[in-house]
Amino acid sequence: MSAAATSHDHAHDHSHDDHAHDHHEQSFVWKYIFSSDHKTIGMQYGLTGLIFLLFGFFLMLLMRWSIAYPGVPVPAIETIRSIPGICDLFEAMFGRWLNADGSLNGELYNMLGAMHGTIMVFFGIVPLGFAAFGNFVMPLQIGTIDMAFPRLNMMSYWFFFISCVLMMYSFFVGTGPVQTGWTMYSPLATTTSMGVTSVWSHGHTWWLTAMVFNISASLLGSVNFIATIINLRTKGMAWMKMPFFCWAMFVTAFLLLLAFPPLEVAAILQLSDRVFGSSFYLPTGLMEGGKHLDISGGGSPLLYQHLFWFLAHPEVYVLILPAFAILTDIIPCNARRPLWGYKSMVYSVLTLGFLSFLVWAHHMYLTGMGTMMSTYFQITTVLISVPSVILLTCLMVSLWGGSIRFNTQMLFASAFLPMFGIGGLTGLPLAFSFIDLALHDTYYVIGHFHYVVAPGTIFALFAGVYHWFPKITGRFMNDKLGKWHFWPSLLGMNLVFAPMFIQGMAGFHRRWYDGGKYFENTSGFSHWSTTLTHKIGAFFGFDIPDNMLSLNIVMSVGAFILALGQVPFIINFWFSIKGGKKTTSDNPWDATTMEWATPTPPPHGNFLFDPVAHRGPYEYSVPGHGTDFYPQWESEPGKPETKPAADKVLAHH
Amino acid sequence: MADNIEAIQKSIKKYIAIGALLIFFSGLTVALSYWELPTHSLNILVGMILATIKAALVALIFMHLNHERSVIYKILVFTVVLAVVLFVLFVLAHDDPLTFSGFYSPVEQ
Amino acid sequence: MDIPYTVHARPDTGLYNAKIGIWLFLASEVMLFGGLFSAYIFLRVGADYPWPVHDLDVTLGFINTVVLIASSVTVVMAWACLKLRKFGWYRINMAITVLCAAVFMFNKTLEYKAKFAHYAVKLTDGTLLTGHLPHGYQIKFGDVTELELSVPVKNSAVTADPVGYVLPLIDGEAPKFKTEDGQEIALDSKSFASLAASALEKAKAANKGSASIKLVSATPLKFIAKPSEIFGYTATTLTFRDGTTATGKLTDDKMTLEVDGVDARGVAQSEKSLAFDHRYLGEEWQKAFVANRDHHIAKFEKDYPTRDKARSATLQKESLFFKLHSATPPAAGEAHGDKHGAEAHAPAEGGHGEAHGHHPTVVLEKKDITFFSNFTPKLNTYYAIYFTLTGLHGAHVVIGALVLAYFLCFDNKRLKQDPEHLANRVEVGGLFWHFVDLVWIFLFPLLYLL
Repeated sequence: MSAAATSHDHAHDHSHDDHAHDHHEQSFVWKYIFSSDHKTIGMQYGLTGLIFLLFGFFLMLLMRWSIAYPGVPVPAIETIRSIPGICDLFEAMFGRWLNADGSLNGELYNMLGAMHGTIMVFFGIVPLGFAAFGNFVMPLQIGTIDMAFPRLNMMSYWFFFISCVLMMYSFFVGTGPVQTGWTMYSPLATTTSMGVTSVWSHGHTWWLTAMVFNISASLLGSVNFIATIINLRTKGMAWMKMPFFCWAMFVTAFLLLLAFPPLEVAAILQLSDRVFGSSFYLPTGLMEGGKHLDISGGGSPLLYQHLFWFLAHPEVYVLILPAFAILTDIIPCNARRPLWGYKSMVYSVLTLGFLSFLVWAHHMYLTGMGTMMSTYFQITTVLISVPSVILLTCLMVSLWGGSIRFNTQMLFASAFLPMFGIGGLTGLPLAFSFIDLALHDTYYVIGHFHYVVAPGTIFALFAGVYHWFPKITGRFMNDKLGKWHFWPSLLGMNLVFAPMFIQGMAGFHRRWYDGGKYFENTSGFSHWSTTLTHKIGAFFGFDIPDNMLSLNIVMSVGAFILALGQVPFIINFWFSIKGGKKTTSDNPWDATTMEWATPTPPPHGNFLFDPVAHRGPYEYSVPGHGTDFYPQWESEPGKPETKPAADKVLAHH
Repeated sequence: MADNIEAIQKSIKKYIAIGALLIFFSGLTVALSYWELPTHSLNILVGMILATIKAALVALIFMHLNHERSVIYKILVFTVVLAVVLFVLFVLAHDDPLTFSGFYSPVEQ
Repeated sequence: MDIPYTVHARPDTGLYNAKIGIWLFLASEVMLFGGLFSAYIFLRVGADYPWPVHDLDVTLGFINTVVLIASSVTVVMAWACLKLRKFGWYRINMAITVLCAAVFMFNKTLEYKAKFAHYAVKLTDGTLLTGHLPHGYQIKFGDVTELELSVPVKNSAVTADPVGYVLPLIDGEAPKFKTEDGQEIALDSKSFASLAASALEKAKAANKGSASIKLVSATPLKFIAKPSEIFGYTATTLTFRDGTTATGKLTDDKMTLEVDGVDARGVAQSEKSLAFDHRYLGEEWQKAFVANRDHHIAKFEKDYPTRDKARSATLQKESLFFKLHSATPPAAGEAHGDKHGAEAHAPAEGGHGEAHGHHPTVVLEKKDITFFSNFTPKLNTYYAIYFTLTGLHGAHVVIGALVLAYFLCFDNKRLKQDPEHLANRVEVGGLFWHFVDLVWIFLFPLLYLL
């Protein structure tokens, strides 16, 4: 590492020439809008992601209403329609598709379903988990001044922004947004409303265009992340001294880098099918409405599924790895214990990243692949659960013997562990093709992956917001409101997703807009959970029938509780920016990783001194050390690193 | 990376020679494609081998992959493995070698 | 504040930032083209029609290959010259590179243009006719006196828009229309808007899903439209893309095609192909076709006595894809020379343009046509993947050339002050350029040769 040190000096020699630039007052636009500072970009991503999470959640509330009460007008629909300003927007986006009496129909339900999936995955969780936290925290943790390519980083956000605008625009075009699920399977996705006056008045075209921009943004972001981690680690920050957060972001960036291009291909080919009339995904002799379509045929819908799932399975890990990343900072910090099994976690996450590319066709068992390939995909799918379990186990064992601080972020973090466990374990049966054939496209699958991403990832994201909020703003978020946020969220999440397993095994299909109302069997038999629901309902004076449909009501009540639970968070978030309790130190949680060595909030250029990593990232409760934490940047016990950066010294000359 | 002056000076001639070789191989590919081998698959095989040789020359000489840093190799090996997975599994998932259950039968015309 | 390692390499990794960046980007490009190539394999393995081999312009493709390889050499020379600080040679090499890109794209344009003007028509029995449409293909519809427009109450993609979709197709002057109220109007966007508004009000009052407007024309109307401009038609109705229907009489939907090729590979008994029906090419051409076919089969049997005729794609193509080189059938004996064997390799669209008069013209009836398209992605999956692959590759060529041209023309300050940094930039740009060349190395044989 001595060689690295010399070149550091060299880098600083360079910076003298441009030193004057530091004192330029940036105008508002360049500082907050077209900023190339990784922290500002992280915040931009974070805010956009949070807004989209809220919007996607709102779509889900509308859906849940229709499932629980099909044919019943949406509550307060008249009120919404009478609010000036909002009424036009609501009318253009949703209102024009509602039935005359204000209830939902299948068409609108399909739009909501497709957009809920798309927005939550590509516009909510990935921007928030990967782009926001990754951008803000990762460069600080490895002790660098910015990303390797700051301008590309800015471009990444603005590509993402364009894709947001295009995606939202699809709500307003002629046919409305896509109706074919977030998976956008051809040929349905290609041929629906093919006869409309122009391809540009179809939401699907906009969806695809938006996705092309979204993918480009992800690619720029991931190139930046990897290059930064490889080349800009500070002195002493060897690979195995790097916080696990950065490892997880590193692997996530690789997943995005290599898995997204096939989706881009899938999107381009589907766009070509729609705009140029080609037949990549359209088989010969395809008919619609009793009429042969004016296409050549010869393509295959399976091609789309392969290209799509080649992305979409790694994408699952893109959703979950940032969650693990955040937890590996929060759990050791609040348990005051080192992260247990750091090395095994690193190797697990690398294995996980690699294996995640080899399992995609377990989403496609129903397409009828041959025995050998089906066996292959079953084996790899079961294999990939091993590194996932190692990650989860390490986090759980890290709690052992700790003196745990149950602040809000720790509550969310500890709730993550069992919730993710449920999500992961219920996924195991789906790995087997014979079980999957029965459960494919039922609510069981929905329950499974929502347990992974909703009470899993989203809880971790909330935990991250509470954890790094003091670093970003210099103020704490309110702990009491945080608990008012946590408990209803935990209750709501479980009320929404647990009954899905029961319904799924009873055969409820995921795309019933009426929740199965018109299927005889759904109201034909009861289950202990439905009996319980019936009795609880009777206790409160409601007449809830003792059949499978009653679970729809349970879930929708859960969704409502979940919605109420977010109100304290929104209040807490906005009010704490200006009115929260001020932090008294730069390291309010007594953490060990380098982002806490910066001033609060971190200035442009981040560190006031040249940070050097003296030890591993999780040195909590080190025997013989004065305090129960031993930060990475401290050179001697108890003595904070105060040696100013070389250029700061020169500035005084 | 050939950073010292002499090495670069020497490599200039090499670049031109490789360029000529590449053009020669391209001509060879065209010529061989008109030569009917017993099955067309053989033609494809020959053409692809030639293309791979050409691609390897470009990558090794022009893109300096013959003396690159280990980080780059690690990234590329990972990528190439995945690209091969993409090729192979796509086809295998449909023409299952164990059961021949694929829906493609040899074209008979 | 400067980002470290933008110019000089970090000692422990040995790399400067941009080099890691470009290699990561190329890794993702490998996956992009990997996805496209696997789509190619997938489509080719699953194709239910003979996969075209040597159908594109091989000469043009080969020239482009040479041009790209040459540019690859010059771009790496440019980098080397910059490293040696030979600025003059650097400029020359870089300029040649950008010039090569321009030549490449020019050739590409020629190739695409020829494809767009060339058509293929699939007949009901599976015969594929290739050729040119001297007058395009138009559907003529006459005796229209009544238009029925439909405006849905809810905002929808399909709503009557006669100004955009109906009026432009009228043959001649747009006449005045009479509304149901007996009012006479000249149809324009303003008058239609008020008409639609009043109709919508009525529909809402009657609680109907859509408002229907009937317009009567004083004089019978004629419409001329390309198939893409309308939604569909029957013998008595014509539906426009905005959902408007016209009632009248179909006058002409025949297609006039200058045939330059008959591909009978999809027909069970090739000599009985519909193309040789007495209404179309007729008996004389049939004889020429059979003579050519039998000639090639005999030749194949002689050259490769042990091979299976049914499995030779080349024989299938030479014997059953018959090229027409004259307006009238060649005299017997002339029809099959080795000339044909050689020319079977010529690109399908070769020699058109100046040769319009050298092909027989047939007038195809609509009932015999199942599908037609020019040589665009619509024609079949081969052309779809061909245009996608070469189009994306072309986009890469353009972007790469723009970046290199920027280094050449607008980075002179860096050239003087920090040539090492510029050399890095050129190396990174060059790496991208080599990758573009590398993709072409696989594209060329896969699409043009094999």
